[in-house]
Amino acid sequence: MGTGIRRITIFTGHLGSGKTELAINFALSLKERGLPTSLIDLDVVNPYFRTRLVREKLEQLGLTVICPRGEWMRADLPALPPAIRGVLEDPGRYGVFDVGGDEVGATVLGRFKPLLPAKDYHLWFVVNACRPFTRDKEGIINMLESIEKACRLKVTGLVSNTNLGAATGWQTIVAGHRVVQDAARVLNLPVVMAAARGDLAEELRAHLPPGLPVLPLNLFMQTPWQDF
Amino acid sequence: MAKILMKGNEAIGEGAVRAGCRYFFGYPITPQSELPHYLAKRLPEVGGVYLQSESETGAINMVYGAAGAGARVMTSSSGPGISLMQEGISYLAGAELPCVIVNMIRGGPGLGNIAPAQSDYFQATKGGGHGDYRVIVLAPASVQEIIDLMRVAFDLADRYRNPVMVAGDGILGQMMEPVELGEEEEIQIPPRPWAATGRMGGEKKLINSLYIVPEELEQHNLKLARKYALITEREQRWEEYRLGGAKLVLVAFGTAARICKAVVDRCREEGLAVGLIRPITLWPFPQKAFEPVIEEAERFLVVEMNLGQMVEDVRLTVNGRRPVHFYGRCGGMLPVAADVVREVKKLYGGEGQ
Repeated sequence: MGTGIRRITIFTGHLGSGKTELAINFALSLKERGLPTSLIDLDVVNPYFRTRLVREKLEQLGLTVICPRGEWMRADLPALPPAIRGVLEDPGRYGVFDVGGDEVGATVLGRFKPLLPAKDYHLWFVVNACRPFTRDKEGIINMLESIEKACRLKVTGLVSNTNLGAATGWQTIVAGHRVVQDAARVLNLPVVMAAARGDLAEELRAHLPPGLPVLPLNLFMQTPWQDF
Repeated sequence: MAKILMKGNEAIGEGAVRAGCRYFFGYPITPQSELPHYLAKRLPEVGGVYLQSESETGAINMVYGAAGAGARVMTSSSGPGISLMQEGISYLAGAELPCVIVNMIRGGPGLGNIAPAQSDYFQATKGGGHGDYRVIVLAPASVQEIIDLMRVAFDLADRYRNPVMVAGDGILGQMMEPVELGEEEEIQIPPRPWAATGRMGGEKKLINSLYIVPEELEQHNLKLARKYALITEREQRWEEYRLGGAKLVLVAFGTAARICKAVVDRCREEGLAVGLIRPITLWPFPQKAFEPVIEEAERFLVVEMNLGQMVEDVRLTVNGRRPVHFYGRCGGMLPVAADVVREVKKLYGGEGQ
């Protein structure tokens, strides 16, 4: 994928940029390649719509999900399970990190800075150009810099994830991708992949720059009115 | 104008800014913290003031001060924080100060939890604070509606010189939906001749809710009552969804109404005549919505994320003419669409009573 698979992949970005769905789907794609993969829910910012709520489903699909257990799962606490360290230290395991939104979410990541395997991790910044504060190049760069400052790490690539939820068309993503590319050029960073709901992936591949990987997303976070 | 993807909490902030609100005082609490976060970034862009107070008690009294000085002002919180604000809300109602108070309801009572709930309906619509007063309560059910209702909230507050509460829940605050913001308008805030902005050679302007002489307080209370009667007559708002020929009418607001809409669609597909009344104003309760359907409807089913609060207002409205049933989940649990369908099927055709 993009600049090649590394042992640790970290998804960070603006609140609501789509990190959780991306992290889940990316982790599943690693698992499908036969790699032993752990998904780490590092979101201590937002107690709603986070990975841990679909833990059982993901575990049935073969992922190891690392998040607070038992009654702590739903707590509004910055609690981090020790198993995170296990993933970072196990050279045979692949880890996908779902970090909380904005600089407040990224602060948590800084705690693991000394444990990240040198040259064997990606820190990817997810951009949805339909979100407030990241709608243009300047907004994206500001957000990226405040996240880098908070986690004391450098972003290594951008993920193009523009969407309007259920109202997304491939045109939405293509228009957003131009904004992401503009920002990437200024930042001198690669756009490592685009992501889109599964049914849009084919159309997208035809309209995005050739060679840019498109990760089809199978959406896991549901509203209660979708639950029949 | 392109659509953008917003969280409900962010939309409350943006909707307030676009309604001309320039002052926000509040204290963070899950599940509404994205709202103060958003306004902390957004208000300085438009020359407004965002201030994190030392507590919710502080916030509501800052609102009192700003409203008394004639500002469009807002605060927000969730359950426990709104409870702390009740004294201030009563004072605001007594002093007839326009303002907007947001409650993104979480599970209670007490510290409860941070999951979504609608269990503050009684608190919002029946007082909460002391004294004979009313607060206008608006209950949006989508992110787009939040944007639109924020303007309505501030306008109603001004028109009636009364606090307006916007009542949502954690799901509505946290979920993301595309919204059309439209062009940003220059808002002309109606003149406030009563505001305490200096005497300027004119009459003394006093913002107060103290009436020591009982005769005077009675007159003040009666004046407020006339205002509340006027609001009840003029401001009932609701949405009707597939009510034509409905034999079973669901009644739900906010997130529960979103669930019920999906249920109505599913039931209609299966040939069941089911419709929905969605109150948008929780106070005044939209009694007018019920009269046209009561002939055809065989029964009502109220669905709430609590143990039965709005159902009392539905029963008062229906007044024994039809059976009014209730289905709810509480403590942060949700009545998911499948559960409500099951409940509808149990009742439809008169079984399972």
